[in-house]
Amino acid sequence: MATQLPVIDYEKIKKVHDAPLEEFYTSGHRTCQGCESAMVMRDFAKAAGPRTVVTGATGCMYVANTSYLTTPWIVPWMHTQLGAGGSSAVGMAAGLRALMRKGRIPKEKINVINFSGDLGAGDMGIGGISGALQTDYDLLVIMYDNESAANTDIQATGSTTYGAQTTFTPPGSKHRIMQRRWKKNVAAMLAVGHPTCRYVATASATFPALDFMNKTRKALSIGGPTFIHTFDPCPKGWDFHPRYAHELGELGVKSGIFPLYEIIDGQVVYTYDARQKGRIPVREYLEKQGRFAHLIDEDVDYIQSMVDTMWNEWDIPGVAPFKAGLSVAG
Amino acid sequence: MIKRVEVNYRGIFQKTLGKYIGGDIVQIASRMGKVAFSNGRYSDSPERNGIPCKYFAFVSPDLSEEELEAECGAKLDIDEADVSVVVDDTMVKGVEPWGWHGVRAINEKLREKGCLLVTSQHSHDQLLTFIPKQPFSWRLATVEGPASLAGLWVYKDDLTRERVLGALAAVDPGIISIEAVESYLLEKTKDKHRAEAARASYDATLRNMRVVKAGEGAEWHHEIPRLPTWKEFESGGVVVPAVPRGFTMGPRGQSRNERFLRGTTKSHRPVVRFDLCIKCTLCWYDCPDECFDPTDDGLYDVNYEVCVGCHKCAEVCPVPECIVMVDELKFDNNDSPWEHHKRDPQGYIKWAEEKKGLERIHYPHVTGTGMEIREGKFVPPKPDKGGPAAGAKA
Amino acid sequence: MATVAETTNVWANELLLNGCQAVAQGVKLANVDVIAAYPIRPYTEVMDQLSKLIADGEFDSEYIVADSEHSQFEIVKHASSVGARAFGGSSGTGWMYGFEALVVAATDRLPPLFVVGNRALDDPGAFGVEHNDALALRDMGWLLCWASTAQEALEHVLIGYRIAEDNRVLMPMALAMDGAFLTHSQHMIKVPTQEAVNTFLPPFNLGKRVLHPDNPVSIAPQVNEDWVMELRRQNWEAARRARTVIPEVYKSFNDLFGPRYANPFFDEFMCEDAEVVLVGLGAVAMPARTAVRRLREQGKKAGYVNLRWFRPFPTEQLRATLGRMKGVGIIDRNFAMGSPDNGGIVVQDIRSCLYPLTKRPVVTDFIGGLGGRDMSIADCVRMFEITFDAAAGQQRDELVTWIGLRE
Repeated sequence: MATQLPVIDYEKIKKVHDAPLEEFYTSGHRTCQGCESAMVMRDFAKAAGPRTVVTGATGCMYVANTSYLTTPWIVPWMHTQLGAGGSSAVGMAAGLRALMRKGRIPKEKINVINFSGDLGAGDMGIGGISGALQTDYDLLVIMYDNESAANTDIQATGSTTYGAQTTFTPPGSKHRIMQRRWKKNVAAMLAVGHPTCRYVATASATFPALDFMNKTRKALSIGGPTFIHTFDPCPKGWDFHPRYAHELGELGVKSGIFPLYEIIDGQVVYTYDARQKGRIPVREYLEKQGRFAHLIDEDVDYIQSMVDTMWNEWDIPGVAPFKAGLSVAG
Repeated sequence: MIKRVEVNYRGIFQKTLGKYIGGDIVQIASRMGKVAFSNGRYSDSPERNGIPCKYFAFVSPDLSEEELEAECGAKLDIDEADVSVVVDDTMVKGVEPWGWHGVRAINEKLREKGCLLVTSQHSHDQLLTFIPKQPFSWRLATVEGPASLAGLWVYKDDLTRERVLGALAAVDPGIISIEAVESYLLEKTKDKHRAEAARASYDATLRNMRVVKAGEGAEWHHEIPRLPTWKEFESGGVVVPAVPRGFTMGPRGQSRNERFLRGTTKSHRPVVRFDLCIKCTLCWYDCPDECFDPTDDGLYDVNYEVCVGCHKCAEVCPVPECIVMVDELKFDNNDSPWEHHKRDPQGYIKWAEEKKGLERIHYPHVTGTGMEIREGKFVPPKPDKGGPAAGAKA
Repeated sequence: MATVAETTNVWANELLLNGCQAVAQGVKLANVDVIAAYPIRPYTEVMDQLSKLIADGEFDSEYIVADSEHSQFEIVKHASSVGARAFGGSSGTGWMYGFEALVVAATDRLPPLFVVGNRALDDPGAFGVEHNDALALRDMGWLLCWASTAQEALEHVLIGYRIAEDNRVLMPMALAMDGAFLTHSQHMIKVPTQEAVNTFLPPFNLGKRVLHPDNPVSIAPQVNEDWVMELRRQNWEAARRARTVIPEVYKSFNDLFGPRYANPFFDEFMCEDAEVVLVGLGAVAMPARTAVRRLREQGKKAGYVNLRWFRPFPTEQLRATLGRMKGVGIIDRNFAMGSPDNGGIVVQDIRSCLYPLTKRPVVTDFIGGLGGRDMSIADCVRMFEITFDAAAGQQRDELVTWIGLRE
């Protein structure tokens, strides 16, 4: 029942000076000073352009953006429930496809995009996103990951960095570390489990420059269901001065704690290859955030060792936690 | 009788401070045998960094707990304030906490003879150039010092809390007395210097309180939006028009959400030396609030109506002294700086340098761990005023 | 005056269909654009049937196998938001699993249609009919009606979309039908022609509320105390207008297909001169009507009200009919434990509906048929007898009687 549609052939943006000037997500949103998730909103809307429909799952980027019946959105946008990111995109894509096939609206490529936070996409809604990635609809789900339920004032999620302080994981006199879960590897998990999904990527909102915009365009151009996981430093919850929002993202990538890559038709392409370029110590990233102020050296060493394992011992470094030596039982 | 106090604070940065002050008032008043409670303005929640928020405390010497709660509890906002505390003085320019709320005067809730108590390094007269006039007389007092900004996890213990309590006792002893403040602090913290800080602030406030006469103060131009009745937007319901698509080069060329500007979120604004700009685009590219307007000459105007003062542009700008964050109270309008620069390039440089001064505030990464004042410098304009286009980095 | 049905051929054929298959025929005739499926007994066969119809090319719709009811309902809701006629359904706890999506479909003012094959709620798992699943919608801004035959089920897919999509209404529509007894019992069903359906049911047009690049809107921005009351009042207004639209739509249906529905909101069986009536929802209408006939043979003035529309509740119409009675017995195939008198849900609404009358019938309540237990003719006769006794002034210890309980 698929309908062949014209494709918007996005060109790669090569220089910052070539980035589109027009905004499709504009000023007048109640996000925090220095909000990197707002950068994700701005950049995917800019990269996708006007022939786009968007749903936003409950979370910061719902509540902060559209406070009190006002909107910063220029492209059509609709709220969806916390765990409904994937299914909202399927619903829109299916509706548009049926209406176009039946001749009730003109045939054209309309980008269908959902954004959901780490709580919505990585935890509650992961089943729905998995379902979406099994379809043949053209849709893009963006998981904007600020590593907490930031809208409800910073509670731990499955994507919170080990050791971080949140209101659900406060350091105490008996337990220094309450956040004892290792960050969920959402993008790779989805890529591994959905072999017909042609494009999964991770990105940081502003580092390297243009990277996220180009990944958005690549996802929309490749078509089918696609997924991008973005890494969004959160000045409020991570507790750093908003001034350093870009820098924190860069440090996260350069320390290797958040690997940047694309998986295109099963092929892993590193955006920032920490093996070749070298990694800065994770300490340089951790020490700049108030949420890690309670960590002691052994905690930092543990995080470093986990990151080292990720890059040195995984079969697909930074992506998939399998280790080589395909042994046969018995 | 009821005494009502509101604490106007910056979201997240002063969340703990606002809550502490509200809670302290309740505990001190209780020790004095009064009935009191405190709460936050729920509509401010979820708080965002920098957004103007309010915390309240209500005190009565004669009402029962139930009567006080009935009068002051379960309400969105305070009816009137005997004291409006402002812990970041840039909020005297007005506060717009959320959409359809409008920019509200900082002394909107202040009653006749009430006191606006501001943490500030500015003089009363300077503050009064921003605070709107009232038809009655009121009082203005300051607690001298910079705004105490902290983070969600790190409370900045710089005695602002104690000093505000001391000053509060000075401006309205009917709420809490200085003796009660002192004994509370001593008993609670065993730290003598906290009580001393409160007392010193009490004394200083008594000396520098200023009566503001009826009609004295700034003109106020902001309108409060009228919320439509249910019938007036019935056909839309939850469906509202998007911001209309619109972009042209130049100042105010991008369409924006007109129901919520949120420029009152900022304590500092970026001042741009356009003549030093290398047109790298990074200020525009990295701005999370879409407040830079591209211009035909490759520069980026700043729309101060919507800039929230995050400092990010100043951080990513590769040119020293090109973008510098400056105290918001040094500005009395949101005019386009680029137009000023185009109109009068030399005059603009002079203006910008005057605003910048030579003190540069430097914050460490973790909020609440202090700030450092570094010396800035004057960079003379280049012969080619537009700056070299070459050298721009992608 | 001759109806269109008498003059032109509006019925295509007669097929042996069970309730689920009849609904599927309705969905096909409504030319639904998007269907999302997830299995749970007993409604599942609707989706089985639809997938086969699509596989065989009998009609054209997107058909999505969802990963959960929550996703299923969200897919339906968002398909509706872009202007597609969308269909979903569920039963029992599956319905409850997706409930969040049902709530927002109403507040977003979107008009998809869902079928609810009524099923008992877990635990323990039970497949049989019980109405608590669909009744949970009663305060959520939905249109909610019960079909009591497979023929009605088919016709109410068409009637339902027409009411829901009316731009004065724009509310989601739940069509409930008793699990097993209705969903799985086969009858000869008259199937309308596509032409007749096209005449009756215009294409869906969401107008200025549609999410499309040519209609840039923001749907459901976050609000707080400044807006919620006004938005709720608007929902209320839509439900109020539905009370006007529903009779219009039935009239139009009757005009086209013959005088099938005398009263849109409920069927009155021998109520004209009745002194005591039972009121029930769904398939219990069959034994109840037979019981009425038997009691009439004994000279007792019994009647039966088959309540079709529960939301919007037909307050005025029920007052007019029930207000004439001496006794009214409510058959609640649901439970509302801890409610006034520990009865069912339906009795609460009917009692408050009748309360303003100066002369009120005696109202008594029956809980029965839970989990799909039989409701026999004898059970119905017994309920009538109790209601007659109550109407005659007999005092009872309990206002609620459990029917068919092993005691």
